[in-house]
Amino acid sequence: MNNLMKKKVSVLDLIRGNSVPLMFVLICAVFIPMSGFSGSYLLNEIMTRLGRNAFLILSLLIPIMAGMGLNFGMTLGAMAGQIGLILVADWQIWGIPGLVLAAIISIPISILLGLMCGVLLNRAKGREMITSYIISFFVNGVYMLVVLYMMGPIIPIAHGTLKLPRGYGIRNTVSLLPMRQTIDNALAVYVGGVKIPVLTLIIIALACLFIVWFRKTKLGQDMRAVGQDMDVARDAGINVERTRIISMVISTVFAGFGMIIYLQNLGNFPTYSAHTNVGMFCIAALLVGGASVEKASIGNVFLGVILFHTMFIVAPSAGTKITGDSMIGEYFRVFISYAVITIALVMYETKKRKSQSLMGQMLAQAQKDEEEGKTE
Amino acid sequence: MKGRRLIIRIAAVLLLIVIGFVMSIIGRGHTIYLDNRALDYNGQTYKAPYKVTIYVGDEQLTKLYDKERGSTTCLGQTFTVTLEVMETKNGAEETQTYKIPVPKNMDGVIINIPGYLAGLPEEAYLSEFVAAPSAETEDTTGGDDTSLPGEGDDLIPSDM
Repeated sequence: MNNLMKKKVSVLDLIRGNSVPLMFVLICAVFIPMSGFSGSYLLNEIMTRLGRNAFLILSLLIPIMAGMGLNFGMTLGAMAGQIGLILVADWQIWGIPGLVLAAIISIPISILLGLMCGVLLNRAKGREMITSYIISFFVNGVYMLVVLYMMGPIIPIAHGTLKLPRGYGIRNTVSLLPMRQTIDNALAVYVGGVKIPVLTLIIIALACLFIVWFRKTKLGQDMRAVGQDMDVARDAGINVERTRIISMVISTVFAGFGMIIYLQNLGNFPTYSAHTNVGMFCIAALLVGGASVEKASIGNVFLGVILFHTMFIVAPSAGTKITGDSMIGEYFRVFISYAVITIALVMYETKKRKSQSLMGQMLAQAQKDEEEGKTE
Repeated sequence: MKGRRLIIRIAAVLLLIVIGFVMSIIGRGHTIYLDNRALDYNGQTYKAPYKVTIYVGDEQLTKLYDKERGSTTCLGQTFTVTLEVMETKNGAEETQTYKIPVPKNMDGVIINIPGYLAGLPEEAYLSEFVAAPSAETEDTTGGDDTSLPGEGDDLIPSDM
């Protein structure tokens, strides 16, 4: 009887703990037949999006490990990646060498931005997510200043095709045609009509291996300790502030690389808006994969990409079938993205408050028992 | 220990710089324009062959008759091309692969095939392609009297 109860509780806990992925499995199960897409088309799309987005989402794992929550500041790295790509496009360095050079250029910019973000977040402990979100707006302004006014007169831009007609600043769209899908097409294999971008997947696998290895290093263990309890970690001799800054720097550098992989798949990017939604959608995908503000794994990344992007692919078509208006589907998938983040944050806060209240009750009970014991 | 760490960091930075430099050499892209037209050089005229079939890699790029131009792209400072030359109509075809050095500082390069086949110096058969200035098109971004980029954009991203 007891075992049965335990099993029931554990099944309930399992459902409660994975409510977001389960909800998305349901949504996908309903929407996929409605969309009318063939299996191979869906698989092709999911594989493309897996290669495109997984690296970006992996960049979110390390700050979560360090207890800094969901890094909305990953857009900083995305901007660094874009600056690298703009310069490489101007210097006419094409193909994979161009992407490697863009990644190298993005590293110092990402490190600087990550350092700045880490230092600021250390001054806003406990409010990292909202702070990093606002920092991303601030750095977006700096990015605009650099790209819109400094590229041309201060940072040399040779090609008129990149510059605005007035002679300085970068045009609305930067073409990456000579680099388009160069990573995806290298070593690509086709299985049943589905293109598998082997080199992209190898790069993603290397990033996963790095994260697994990093967790086992002294720094990785320090980050986990900081993530669990900053005061205990500080008492144990860990430099909490430094550890948190390093986690932000690693995440920002990874986000820069991720953005380059993401944009090479697309083949062009809107200069002033490509980075703005990246953070939001990556965080939504990670949460859909079953991650939370305080815990995320590599498995969550892949499950999240598959579920979230399946919904992204089928929602417009299913929306058209249901309502006769494809815009409803478009709105639906954006609404879902923001809703997932909201629900996850509310659930996290509720859980935190519940556990705090439970701890308070236990403490009060212990004090009461102690007082009763004294009087007796 | 600190000294060793510093050396490793400097080595890592140097390695990245070297990789970046190598990438900028091997990844330098050029647009190559191949011209099959007569060339006048030092008072001598080099006539264009009747037909030149151009192969880049394993693929046939184009067939050029007199006064025709073909274009392709190339990475790095050497352009490898296979030319199948037919001097006169219904004449014999001669196929040969050439490795043409391309100057690093030129984005677009015009190669005159008759001049190159005649073994003329680089300044004779190779010139820089300069695009004719096109009419200025309106770009709404960032003009002094226009809205900021992104302002008024649709808030729904087209795709992820």
